[in-house]
Amino acid sequence: MSEEILKALMQLFAIIAKQDVGVSTNERVYVENFLRQQLNEKSVKEYLTLFDKYIGDKKASEIDTDKEKEKKSKLISVKDSVKILGIAKKINKTLTQKQKVVVLVRLCELVNSDKKFTPQRMAIIDTAAEVFNINKEEYNAIETFVIEDDFSKWDIADILIINSEKKIPKRAKHIYWDQLEGSILVLHIHSVDLYFLSYTSTRELLLNGLPINNRKIYLFARGGVIKQPKDKPVFYTDVASQFMSDDTTINVHFKIDKVHYRFPNGHIGLMEISLDEQSGKMLAIMGGSGSGKTTLLNVVSGMIKPTRGNVYINGNDLHEKSDLLKGIIGYIPQDDLLIEELTVYENLYYSTKLVYKNLSEEEIENKVNKVLFNLGLSHIKNLKVGDPLNKEISGGQRKRLNIGLELIREPAVLFVDEPTSGLSSRDSENVMELLRELTVRGKLIFIVIHQPSSEIFKMFDNVTILDEGGFQVYHGNPVEAVIYFKKLDNQINSHIGECPSCGNVNPETIFSIIESRIVDEYGQPTVNRKVTPIEWYAHFKDKISLKKITGVFDKLPESFKKPNWLNQYKIFFARDFFSKISNRQYLLLNLLEAPLLGFLLAFVIRYIEDPTSDVYIFRNNDNIMPYIFMCTIVALFLGLIVSAEEIFKDRKILKRESFLNLSRSSYLCSKIGILFILSAIQAFFFIFVGNYILGIKGMYFEYWLVFFSLAAFANVLGLNISSAFNSAITIYILIPFLIIPQMVLTGAMFSFDKINRAIGGGQDKVPIIAEIMPSRWAFEGLVTNQYINNKYNRNFYTQRKLESELYYKNVYYIPELKRYVEDYKFRLSQGHEESICEEDLKLLRNEIVKENESKFTQYHNHRFEKTDKLVPEKFNRSIADELTSYLIRLNDFYRIRFNIVNNAIDEEIARRVSTSKKHEEYTQLLNDHHNEYLTSFVKNAMVPLPLVRLDNHLVQKTDPIYLEPQDLRLLNFRSHFLAPKKHFLGSFYDTFYFNLVILWVFTILLYFALYYNFFSKTIFFAENIIPIASRKIRATRIKIRDFLIEQTGI
Amino acid sequence: MVKRNVSSLLLLTGLLVLFFVACAPERPDDLTELLTDDLISEEMKMTDEAVGQMISSVPNPVEMTILLQKSNVVYSQDLLNPSGSISNYNTNFKKALNLGVYGTDLVYMNIYDRTVSTLSYLRNLQNLADGLRIGQFFDYETLNRLSESSRNIDSVLYITNRGFDNMTRYLIDQSRSSIAVLIAYGTWIESLYIATKVKTHPPNKELINQRIGEQKIVLDNMLHLLSNYRNDPFFEEIFLDLMDLKKEFDNVTISYIYEEPVMKEIDGKIVVIDNSRSEVNINDDIIDGISKQVEYILNKIIE
Repeated sequence: MSEEILKALMQLFAIIAKQDVGVSTNERVYVENFLRQQLNEKSVKEYLTLFDKYIGDKKASEIDTDKEKEKKSKLISVKDSVKILGIAKKINKTLTQKQKVVVLVRLCELVNSDKKFTPQRMAIIDTAAEVFNINKEEYNAIETFVIEDDFSKWDIADILIINSEKKIPKRAKHIYWDQLEGSILVLHIHSVDLYFLSYTSTRELLLNGLPINNRKIYLFARGGVIKQPKDKPVFYTDVASQFMSDDTTINVHFKIDKVHYRFPNGHIGLMEISLDEQSGKMLAIMGGSGSGKTTLLNVVSGMIKPTRGNVYINGNDLHEKSDLLKGIIGYIPQDDLLIEELTVYENLYYSTKLVYKNLSEEEIENKVNKVLFNLGLSHIKNLKVGDPLNKEISGGQRKRLNIGLELIREPAVLFVDEPTSGLSSRDSENVMELLRELTVRGKLIFIVIHQPSSEIFKMFDNVTILDEGGFQVYHGNPVEAVIYFKKLDNQINSHIGECPSCGNVNPETIFSIIESRIVDEYGQPTVNRKVTPIEWYAHFKDKISLKKITGVFDKLPESFKKPNWLNQYKIFFARDFFSKISNRQYLLLNLLEAPLLGFLLAFVIRYIEDPTSDVYIFRNNDNIMPYIFMCTIVALFLGLIVSAEEIFKDRKILKRESFLNLSRSSYLCSKIGILFILSAIQAFFFIFVGNYILGIKGMYFEYWLVFFSLAAFANVLGLNISSAFNSAITIYILIPFLIIPQMVLTGAMFSFDKINRAIGGGQDKVPIIAEIMPSRWAFEGLVTNQYINNKYNRNFYTQRKLESELYYKNVYYIPELKRYVEDYKFRLSQGHEESICEEDLKLLRNEIVKENESKFTQYHNHRFEKTDKLVPEKFNRSIADELTSYLIRLNDFYRIRFNIVNNAIDEEIARRVSTSKKHEEYTQLLNDHHNEYLTSFVKNAMVPLPLVRLDNHLVQKTDPIYLEPQDLRLLNFRSHFLAPKKHFLGSFYDTFYFNLVILWVFTILLYFALYYNFFSKTIFFAENIIPIASRKIRATRIKIRDFLIEQTGI
Repeated sequence: MVKRNVSSLLLLTGLLVLFFVACAPERPDDLTELLTDDLISEEMKMTDEAVGQMISSVPNPVEMTILLQKSNVVYSQDLLNPSGSISNYNTNFKKALNLGVYGTDLVYMNIYDRTVSTLSYLRNLQNLADGLRIGQFFDYETLNRLSESSRNIDSVLYITNRGFDNMTRYLIDQSRSSIAVLIAYGTWIESLYIATKVKTHPPNKELINQRIGEQKIVLDNMLHLLSNYRNDPFFEEIFLDLMDLKKEFDNVTISYIYEEPVMKEIDGKIVVIDNSRSEVNINDDIIDGISKQVEYILNKIIE
């Protein structure tokens, strides 16, 4: 108590005491005793002198007549009441509501010390109560509690009676305590949550180890214990829980049954931990570092499955029925779980929305504001949370907000990991008081705590102490813990838990006892402990019997009040959206990045071929194909970068929200939704700027669609890696690994004909390894679309395709087949016995069969029926002649038809350029839409051989853009690169759309991989396999080394 | 969970169905008539063989250019068809003519050892040949060899000549002799144009003029060739233009002067030397007239 308050109190005491009859001896003794409780001897005298001074020289004996008394008292009362008002107002300014209540109780007690309840005195106290803003009912309760002696008068709702009578009072609360003489009264002041205690008997009774005097009033603070010499104590929470008014919370029984945990690497984390707790308790988990505190917290909160043993909540196994129980568990990790970009209010707001589906917007706002008020955060509710380096709110405020996020949901069981770490002592106490209040409302709270202050330590109802190796060495009352260890350590005064004068409990005592080391002969502590963890564990098993809680459990709520999938999606979406747009740097960079890149790229590669001209001609820009390639790479990059950290960043929040049992898919979809929107915008800017500068006309939508689809794929890929890896640097190291193969295997940089044959280079289809590269599908789709559907080419594409087919057959294919037959004839004429190679014949057979089924057969009707003769045994000169004449007829057909088609196209072009105006238009069309380099790329003009022999087939290498897929098996969708159409399930689809579908199939597959955590599971598996393997390798290496040493003697 | 998966699967299928509907399989190309109708009548007044022979009688631009070079005629890039003009050639007709023109230009440049711009002309050749669907004679391999041997003029000329010869033979083989005729025509007109445009002094000038005058015979062959295709309006047009040129050439007279052949022993072998020669009567006015008409014709071709 501060000097100022004491002075104020002295003044008030004096004014009350000197009323009417004046100060009695009892009153002065009361004041003296009161001071003695607070201060040392010297100061007591000092303040007593002050008290005497305020009273003046007026003593009770000096007043003689009643008349005089009356007259004087009235006079003084007027003067004093002004004074009282002054003092009370002063007190109002300096004291908290709690302290004011204490002052009021003390005033009543003073009056009660001599039982002189004169109207003047009572009037002064009334005034004080009024100025202090203490509500009338509570004031009455205080009066009743202090003044009344009659048992029957105590029967009011705010009073708790503890006695050995079995009779239960009507309105008052009651605790039965065997062997107690008289009654203990406990008054609860609801508005400030204070408890006062007094005892009606003179028998020895200890409060926190100090004796209680008859009818004196004590503040029954948190962590308090009332004890009789030979009985179980009554704890603060036993009392507080009687006044619990929150009927909606369920009564939870939490049972940890012989939980044993072994880490994947074989170390033991927890050793047979057991305890029983129920609602309304706050339990500390303490221990030296490495004793498994956090592990215990993780196991009992259901995040890790114990190796052995079970955790039950109301009889339900936490790890078996996690879905059922998740909603009633809350978890507040050591690190902050705030969304840094959002304000304090918004953080709470979205959490609230995620938890309560039925509340209206107004109710949610009220709820959030109420919690903010309770947390003392109302004044900063519109501040952004900010990150720890860029602080906008203090550490204590962050922590309180963190707790608030859980508070709002009101889980029945709350797990808190080191809530006070890094906080000032004031902040720590605030935070702990906040948590303590929750227990009063019926929550069960487990807190891992490190080096708590005395105040905080005493707040706990129970403490579980762990020692190295996960041994449980104590479970029970915190103050008792000190006594327990002191006793075991045979210390003097071992029965005293707290400092008799200051009431401090030093939890460090416990650890210095547990971890004390054997001292060697030089007085230096050795590494060996006096008492090993196992011995402490044995003591614990021996001396402490765990309280078993039995009875009927409440039924768990059927389902959690969470919103449905769509609403969750909306909330997640809004939360993410607002956190993104509040980060201006992020937003600006992401939105500017795409158009800037587009500009940079397009501007650099926009060139004019003719050195003498200033006119840019799209047709002659050789960089269009590389531009399309770069589009795919940029799409991948942008898509990956925006998403690569998304889930990783949220992982703490996800950890907490995992207890909310929210839908993972709605979370993921909201992420994806936001990223898709961002990517769509980026795609738009990039394509708009890039295509505009390069003069790619009329294809904006198609480019955008492909760019967006690929970026969307990269988004989901990024989400996968961000959920699979646990550090930002790993993620960014991984990005090149994901992008470079995609660059290499797009088909743009390296022709699929000219890559290593081991991975499928030079085959008739795109190598399989490239088939799994979305960049290739995107690139192929864009290039084929750019070529086929540009405004110029689309007029001629079908005709040119036919022309190309006829040309190939006419010029390369049929002559090649003829060559095989002629070779045979030549060798035959030279008199070779084995005139035809079996392989060549196979090729001929394959190709002729194919030719018989060709789509042209119906037009020329030349069919070679004797394909069965194309085997070495049956093949002979006459068959060869027939074949030749068949091939000649075919060749004639293809030649004539080619000429017809060629002429038809030529006539069409001639028609289009018939006048000079038309010619100009035609040239313009050509210049604007047709690109020479792209054309030679899609026609594979640089290919050394127009057709190649693969196994016993001929494969066309020229004009891939005009070549339909050759492999028409039902489920086959693979084809050569740049095929204009794709085949699947017996139908042909435009490559552009087909490839888009493939991109989305990739994306959807990745979504499922994300949903089922495929990658993180794989990595987890690998991480656990590799250490075992490397351990084996190391062991083998050592063996080999030993063996070599043994053998060589080195 | 199961329910959600089912619904997301439904969504997935829905999405795919939508896509496949959106890109519904295409109907087969409606080009049947091109494959069935007998639109073409390959009636020719002349056999392919004869066309081939006549084309091979058209002088190679190499001879003319070597003559120019030997006559100390200064190289002039301005005489050539600019390589950028290629974008104007869209029809087979134009492409074939200019393939010839560019071919001559390439030869001219190579003989004068102006290799800097050769590559763009080579690319043009390839481009036009591709457009005419005879790209196989200027394929990647050939081009590679050409650019590698650009220092070796003989091989460039050899490859170019062979390319043109093969092309002609192939085109005739493919019943596309009209294209071959146009290429030959283009080649010839361009070399004639260059020859008529050079400025020289006597006695070289006489030599060149005489060579121009000799083209009268070639012109007759050309007219004969082109007359085969006169039912085509484009051919008709160049035929008529050529008739105009013929009018100019009609002023040229060629007389054949016979002299006894002489036998000589060269490197141990007996060789008969024909001393007969044709004498071409030509003057600057005639050259002027020819030059104007050739320029007119060429401008039409390369415009």
